[in-house]
Amino acid sequence: MNPLLMINAFTAHLGRISVIARHAFTQLVRMKVFYFLAFFAIILIGSNFFNLPQHEGPEAAGVNILRSIKSWSLGAMTLFSVVLSIVATALLLPKDVEDRTLYTILAKPVPRIDYLAGKLLGVLLLIFVSLLVMDLLMTGILQVRTNMVLSKQMAMAEARGWSVSDIAGLKADILAQGPTFSLQGAVLAVFLRATVIASMSLLISTFSSSTLFTTIVSFLIYFCGHFQADARAIYLSSEVGTDVGWVSQAIALLVSLILPDFQLFNVIDSVIEGQLMPLVIFGKLILVGLFYFSFYLIASWFVFAKKEF
Amino acid sequence: MTQGKRYVILGLVVLVMGAARLPLEQGLSVELSEKGLVPPKLKIDTGDKLGQTFSAVSLGGLRTLVATFFNIRAFSYFTEQKWSEVAETYNIIVDLAPHTRYYWDSGSWHQSYNAASYYLYQSNLPAMRRKLAWKESILTGRNFLERGIRNNPNDPILRQSLGYLLADPNKILAFGDTGKAFEESYEAYWSAVQTGKARGFAKRAALYSLARVPGREEEALELALEIRSEMPVLPPPTVLGLLYSLRYFADPNQSVLELVDDVFPTREIGYEVLGNVWLRSRDRFPVHGSAKALVLLENHFDIPEAQSILRRELALPMDPNDYF
Repeated sequence: MNPLLMINAFTAHLGRISVIARHAFTQLVRMKVFYFLAFFAIILIGSNFFNLPQHEGPEAAGVNILRSIKSWSLGAMTLFSVVLSIVATALLLPKDVEDRTLYTILAKPVPRIDYLAGKLLGVLLLIFVSLLVMDLLMTGILQVRTNMVLSKQMAMAEARGWSVSDIAGLKADILAQGPTFSLQGAVLAVFLRATVIASMSLLISTFSSSTLFTTIVSFLIYFCGHFQADARAIYLSSEVGTDVGWVSQAIALLVSLILPDFQLFNVIDSVIEGQLMPLVIFGKLILVGLFYFSFYLIASWFVFAKKEF
Repeated sequence: MTQGKRYVILGLVVLVMGAARLPLEQGLSVELSEKGLVPPKLKIDTGDKLGQTFSAVSLGGLRTLVATFFNIRAFSYFTEQKWSEVAETYNIIVDLAPHTRYYWDSGSWHQSYNAASYYLYQSNLPAMRRKLAWKESILTGRNFLERGIRNNPNDPILRQSLGYLLADPNKILAFGDTGKAFEESYEAYWSAVQTGKARGFAKRAALYSLARVPGREEEALELALEIRSEMPVLPPPTVLGLLYSLRYFADPNQSVLELVDDVFPTREIGYEVLGNVWLRSRDRFPVHGSAKALVLLENHFDIPEAQSILRRELALPMDPNDYF
């Protein structure tokens, strides 16, 4: 095939996907999804001023609030992204059928893969924009608060006559609780997990008969997906001669093969606790996210390609 | 191809792809665990205690948030002085957030200090019961801290806290053999130093504990000299006091006043430091040659014998039997 024709065909695909994605994005924005951001801002500001009843020695003063801000923010981001990725994706196809938009689109020379990819990217764009805004808010407030804690702690250390190396150590400890590269990695993990959930919901919605069914099944798979690693561990441990019956082994294997492993994206908790996330882990998580996105998208197209409406 | 056939093919493809990704996901999962990036699985009893919250916790990203709420609950139990509930709540908290130093430190502190003090003064309990509860609280706090260290081997602060607890004059008798407690305190402080992230005082604290271990005076002297050589300014009084005592122990026949002149910047400072170390008997610091030096210095400063430090009453080491 002529490479020029291939490039043209590819560009045409991208153009169609982009139009459908923008339409899906606009459609979701009109559903007032961004109102959630106002709640997020309130939660964030609240967590900044909320003095939790707890003990703090002079050397810890203020550091706990940084962890609190991260916990509240990433917790809200997790909930928002999971709910939105499932509900918004589950709504897409049935709504287009109900509005008869689907018939209009499919009557045109639009490949069904372009339609599905566009819809999915629209949802992902919405989640990305929302997470970006939330991340900016979190990082901003965390930066301000970290500076406040830092100046207070530095004054304390100097007043006590700490050595230069001790002050540097204290500074490093506090900065590790502030906005770090790893924290951005945790937000990326939230987005990647949402990508996997949305892609999986898209696959379910291609053969489900209702939005409710897609939503419930997706939530169930999401919940069970957090135990996929346990099932896999049971299956793998049974291979080396442990006392696991063949029925348990078969169930464990089936769960491991069918469900995605959502535990892989649970780096969030460790990052909140101040753990560092190496760049190579970022890369690997991105690859996992891309794998699930591509696989579920192609699988959705395979089911949807010849579906009669 | 019928839609039914498509579903069957899809099912098979899902299984094949699952088999292909299984070893890769397992590898990544192990890597994340090894790097401490994925929190360990919750214990079964923690899951039971969490109840409905367990579902929220299982959904990742909410464990630290739930731990924050449990920390508030622990604070309420603390204000109500329900110590077993405080301990139980902290067990849940650290299962949820095992890498947060604060929870290990506070959980241990509540038991070793707050609960232990509570039982010390709980006059409505029989003496035997109070003594046992006092000791158990301190040991519970110690065990909790040691668990924290096992979970966070690179954290110097938890190791320092353990070192401090083991050498605390108000707690040390709960550990039985005081020499062994000081030795373990030294090991805790020294392991903190070896993480490379400990604050400067950790090395000095290691010396303070090592100097109190019977039979390790020579090592303590080496460490004291090392600390002295590393300090550009005058070391803290306790280091100077230990330097004198340990050097005297190494050679008891040397001239005491010459040793005082060599260790301390002035004889006035020497007298003040040695006097304080002598009076702080509850801290159990070695006082080799201190009495001799104090007598000579008091003669040197013409201090009347009636005002001699050596005539002052010493604070007795804390003995639980005095309280119960």
